[in-house]
Amino acid sequence: MKKMLLLCAAGLIVLASVISADADIALPKPSPTPAKEARVVRYTGLTIVPDAKSYEARLQIPESELKGLRDALAMVQPDESMLQRLAHSSTRTIMAGVFLFLSFSFAGVWLARSGQRRGHKAIAALLVGTALIGAAAVITRANAGPPGSFRWKGLPQALSEGRATQGGVQIEIVPEGNGLKLIIPLKKTKPNGDEE
Amino acid sequence: MERTANIDLVRLSPERALPATRVSARLFAAALFSVAILSAVLAGWIPFQFSLVTVFLFAGPHNWFELRYFLMRLPRRLGRSRNFFVVAFAGIALLTAAYLSLPLLFYSRIWSGANWPLAIAVWNTLLLLWLATLVWLRGKQHARRNWGWAWPLAFALAALNWITPEMFSLAIVYAHPLVALWFLDRHLSRTRPAWLSTYRRCLLLVPILIAGIIWQLSGTASLADDNGLAWRVTQHAGAELLPNVSSHLLVSLHVFLEMLHYGVWLIALPLIGARGTLWNVKTIPVARHSQGFPKIVGAVLLAGLSVVVLLWVGFSTNYAATRDLYFAIAIAHVLAEAPFLLRMI
Repeated sequence: MKKMLLLCAAGLIVLASVISADADIALPKPSPTPAKEARVVRYTGLTIVPDAKSYEARLQIPESELKGLRDALAMVQPDESMLQRLAHSSTRTIMAGVFLFLSFSFAGVWLARSGQRRGHKAIAALLVGTALIGAAAVITRANAGPPGSFRWKGLPQALSEGRATQGGVQIEIVPEGNGLKLIIPLKKTKPNGDEE
Repeated sequence: MERTANIDLVRLSPERALPATRVSARLFAAALFSVAILSAVLAGWIPFQFSLVTVFLFAGPHNWFELRYFLMRLPRRLGRSRNFFVVAFAGIALLTAAYLSLPLLFYSRIWSGANWPLAIAVWNTLLLLWLATLVWLRGKQHARRNWGWAWPLAFALAALNWITPEMFSLAIVYAHPLVALWFLDRHLSRTRPAWLSTYRRCLLLVPILIAGIIWQLSGTASLADDNGLAWRVTQHAGAELLPNVSSHLLVSLHVFLEMLHYGVWLIALPLIGARGTLWNVKTIPVARHSQGFPKIVGAVLLAGLSVVVLLWVGFSTNYAATRDLYFAIAIAHVLAEAPFLLRMI
């Protein structure tokens, strides 16, 4: 009798759970996995040279560059999360920042403890000046170069004139696609010469 | 009671320091000029061959001369300098062991290649902190010295090191040969103060020759590094880190600086500093004293000579492998220069 009661109770629980578990509804189709983000693994240079004698376009990779590319690819962690990648890439920056902070702190303490000699005032002024200029450079992004499109701006004209154009290029690993794709950041220009 | 540690070694009057002058100031300056110019010409003309020959001939002997020089400057009793020397020798031992273990970890696949810059950055940071400690300890020995700047400077350099560890290591490779010139400057100020102005005028030749090498070779094609030995030589000079700079220029510059380094230890310092035969241990204070250690000093020098001969045998049989081994172990002499140079400042 006791067993019967237990079986009935278990059956009722299973039936009741059908509603909350949506057991009568077919399993949803697995949603497509989100597209993997492209990853920059190496920064290198690219020169586009128009060659009237060639019949096929060629992407020439020097052996030294190929070695560097192989090394960069060897370092790619296939399933690294965004957080892991961020942590991995910023370790050196964090350490550099910590040591810079320590440097300025210790320099300040040293100057404060070593009296008010003339030379020390000059050093203090130099340190404060360097800190101010550094802070201004960070705030105004003064250490950043011109955007990549700047170098490629004159590409169409250079190609038409048979001249070489040189600029930086990021090598990306994209999850899909056939062959290499060279994307040149060319801005449309207004009739007055301004970029859109 | 004798306080050896408080007495600056060989801080004697010029007349008393070296009664028998072997060379004149002019001859000394002429030797410096000749070595510098000949080195620059050969380094620019045949950098690869010159690098191989100089390392083969002078790498081992210059280390032996450095060892002998450091033994000369070692106080018999440490006294107040005990902490300084304990930190110095512990640092040399630990940093050398760590430096040697890095490639072992890499080749045994314990350490991934991706972590290589991190490992280099950690080692460089430890080196800087050790140097700062030595400077701080040395500064504390004199009440008038305020060498607290060592810490902010070390931290600033550490920050630079973490931004680009490989370049920082390369900077050490290029800066180390110049330390020998500083040694010579300090040595002259103690033993030949009258020559100091002549020597410092001669030093002006170094940046001129460096500028000349850069000017002449910046546009030259890179050296072919299609074999293991050539690759080692160009890598040592930083060809991989500076791909846009001609490896001909880099190797030439590095060999030129190395030759200056060898010239100081093998020619200049023995010429002006020798007070007897090189194998006479009685010229070394720590061996000469009645409570000294002549047998230990003699054994150390003899062992050093054996290593020099072994290096020559090694270079003759397998140059590339011996070169790798030498430049790994030679970090010890680079480190040893720091405390002994600080003792002379």
